[in-house]
Amino acid sequence: MNRRGKSNASNDNRPPVQETDAFDLEPSQPISFDLDENERTFQDLFRHCSDIVFRDLEVQGRTKLLIMFTDGMVNSDILQSAVLKPLLYEGLPQGLGMIDSIAEMCGRELMSILQVKKSSDVFEIADLILRGHTAFLADGENEALLADVSSFETRSIEESTNEATLRGARESFTELLRTNTTLLRRIIVTPKLKLEAYRVGKLTNTEVVVAYIEGSVAEPVLKEVRDRVRRIRLEGVLESGYIEEAIEDTNYSPFPQMMSSERPDAVAAGLLEGKVAILTNGTPNALIVPMTFWDGLQAPDDYFERFMYVTLNRWIRYAFAIFSVLFPSIYIALTSFHPEMVPPKLMLSISALREKSPFPTVIEVFIMEFMFEGLREAGIRLPKQIGPLVSIVGALVIGQAAVQAGIISAPIVIVVSAAGISSFVIPRYRFGIPLRMLRFPLLILTGMFGLFGIALGLITILVHLIHLKPFGTAYLSPVTPIMFGRIKKVFVRFPHKRAMKANPIREGDSP
Amino acid sequence: MKRIIKLGIVLFFVITCTTGCWNLTEPDELAFITAAGMDAAPDGRIEISSQIAVPSAIDVQQNQSSIGKSFLVVSAMGKNVMDAGRTMQGKLSRSLFYEHRQAIIFGQSMAQRGVGDMLDMFVRNPKSEIRSTVAVVKDGTAKDLLNIKPKFDPFSGLAILRVQSSVGSTPYFYRHFLSDALNEGMTPLVPAFHIVGKNEFACVGAAMLDNTADLKLKGFLNAEQSFLAYWMIGRQSTISVTSVVDRDGGLATIRLGSLKSRIRVILTDSGKPAIEVRLSGGGSVIENNSNLDPSKGPDRRIIEQKLSDSTRQKVEQLIDQVQHQYKTDVFGFGDHIHRRYPQRWKTLKRDWDQSFSKLPVSVQVTLHVKDPGQSNSAMKRFI
Repeated sequence: MNRRGKSNASNDNRPPVQETDAFDLEPSQPISFDLDENERTFQDLFRHCSDIVFRDLEVQGRTKLLIMFTDGMVNSDILQSAVLKPLLYEGLPQGLGMIDSIAEMCGRELMSILQVKKSSDVFEIADLILRGHTAFLADGENEALLADVSSFETRSIEESTNEATLRGARESFTELLRTNTTLLRRIIVTPKLKLEAYRVGKLTNTEVVVAYIEGSVAEPVLKEVRDRVRRIRLEGVLESGYIEEAIEDTNYSPFPQMMSSERPDAVAAGLLEGKVAILTNGTPNALIVPMTFWDGLQAPDDYFERFMYVTLNRWIRYAFAIFSVLFPSIYIALTSFHPEMVPPKLMLSISALREKSPFPTVIEVFIMEFMFEGLREAGIRLPKQIGPLVSIVGALVIGQAAVQAGIISAPIVIVVSAAGISSFVIPRYRFGIPLRMLRFPLLILTGMFGLFGIALGLITILVHLIHLKPFGTAYLSPVTPIMFGRIKKVFVRFPHKRAMKANPIREGDSP
Repeated sequence: MKRIIKLGIVLFFVITCTTGCWNLTEPDELAFITAAGMDAAPDGRIEISSQIAVPSAIDVQQNQSSIGKSFLVVSAMGKNVMDAGRTMQGKLSRSLFYEHRQAIIFGQSMAQRGVGDMLDMFVRNPKSEIRSTVAVVKDGTAKDLLNIKPKFDPFSGLAILRVQSSVGSTPYFYRHFLSDALNEGMTPLVPAFHIVGKNEFACVGAAMLDNTADLKLKGFLNAEQSFLAYWMIGRQSTISVTSVVDRDGGLATIRLGSLKSRIRVILTDSGKPAIEVRLSGGGSVIENNSNLDPSKGPDRRIIEQKLSDSTRQKVEQLIDQVQHQYKTDVFGFGDHIHRRYPQRWKTLKRDWDQSFSKLPVSVQVTLHVKDPGQSNSAMKRFI
């Protein structure tokens, strides 16, 4: 574990930053004036790509056009009615000979397509064809016209399954980047919401959008994010997780350094706080940078319900988070190393229940923890109908049967289940993971050193957390380093009216 | 740098595996001692009895009384406590665990011999629990008391502690006992228990252990006297007082809650100290068999007056008896003199028992009926 939490972005071993935003290509190759040569070039490029369609057209017997598109990605209706019909039946409009460029004329006069683009670079054309554009090449022109008629099957906007909330919108992001940016735009309606586009991944050429609100965002963080995204040199970027691991400060910490969310309102909330969001094409999970420890313990609907309930809930969550890390270790430390600290009646009950068990306490806890983790993991992958059933029933039945057989003692089952369930109280699943993982080293240390081991383990974890500074923000701020104004907000979620008093809106403020 | 880290990790594991787990003791390797008893044995030795909990007999799901005893008593003799303890360990397959000991019980024979010598172990041994309660067995041995299975609790050690709270006293812990014993101005008053029949015990008052004479047993106070004495020292939280309140001999009982005791030292004209004891308390009338009606003002004042008078008489009798029969200062008068007139105390303390018996004491008791109860006149009037 990189305990110092040194960021990857130290100045000595950085590769030099490229100037352009686009991904690294081979040097560009211009298209020629001859249509046949172009056709051969593209046929070569797309050899064995059975879904790229080449369509030759002769418009009114004179002009030859080559249309290229990817089958399955274009809206054939629009293509046929807006492009082919006019060209084939009506032909080019009057006064043809004087027109300079067929492509340009098609774009302006004939095609009622919204987004058109011109290009003379082979690879750029190929890239856009693969994104669903249709390319029109004319004989005698060295420019191609690319029209966006893309339409392909995507998942519709559904309710988020992983981040369920009681209150708040139910839309969640889908795999298409444009849908996601639209959802964001619909929430934050201001030109100050900036969406910067990048492409990452040598083979996947995944589109990535860095979103922020100009004026609210912390400039150093934004600059850091831009730098790091540009520096990503991966072959394929399938999910935002690849980007996350590529740009996070240290891979060797169990704690996640950026939040990921499927919900547009969570992302919007982060943006309003001055954070930067990274949306990736192909995944509904957006990354929110930077993240603090306390963000991980918040639920998306913390700000939607009334403040008293939310504050109470928050305290319960903090208690359960600590509980889930410490409970098995404390049980071992107290019953095996310091029985004098347990009240006498409880100690006698525990030792009564432990009489039949053949294993030492530490081994028992490890066995039960192992089983619990296995059952939990199995429950995720099973089909929806039987998954939760198997994991819960399995845990209970196995635990009960083991207790009755005398293999495991009953307090162990209670302790492990309580700790396991309390880790599910944490609303963000990925924040419960480091706490669960940390339980094991703590168990080992406790088994060796008792309460002293717990102290050692906790100090190590704390030191690690203090040194963790994702993107320049201390992970435990505002508690450490202490920010007196903000620290109250960690413990109490103040009602929104209070924010109104703090930032009164004056006449003449721009939106 | 990396090599040092790797070496460090390897060394860490080597250290922990070769020397580790040295402090880890499973609960089933421990014999939990819940009470310790001390009796006198011939040749100047002592006999230690330990009441050890047997966890497997405590089935937490079933009723305890249906199984039988959930503890066992082991005894051994020795020159002092730890010596006997060593002998006792040889009889047990699990190591003795003193930290959950609830009670330390002295048999009468031991108390008569004097327990002062044996006090040290309970304080010095780091594994000893100083928050145990202390008790003396009247006319019996501690071993027999430990063998009794109480009605509600699993062990008599625990029962002894709880009986003290249920009669209204504050439990007497070893810590208090020690500080009272080391105090030159008072004699500790230890709760006394008596074994009734074959299988019961009862709290029968208090024992006076003389701390000027190696904590030898000086005498016993009966239950009522012990409650009054505790009231004076501030160890009693509730007490019920009954007395005749009207001319026909009708009785009334009041349960006093907020008991206060103020002991003042005043100097008489001859320069000698005298004690003024002021006891006060307030409570509700819980039984009324008289002609008076506690809900009416004048009647209530009569009740208060009568009760206060009778209590005062009892306290005076108690102080008289203690001063002249037993001649030990269990009330802490010496302590109060020490605080108020430390110079005089220096001369007085040399022969305090003698001076104590000549000390003039005046008693004032003020009882206050705060609540007449749920009804007004006595039920017998309606019959």
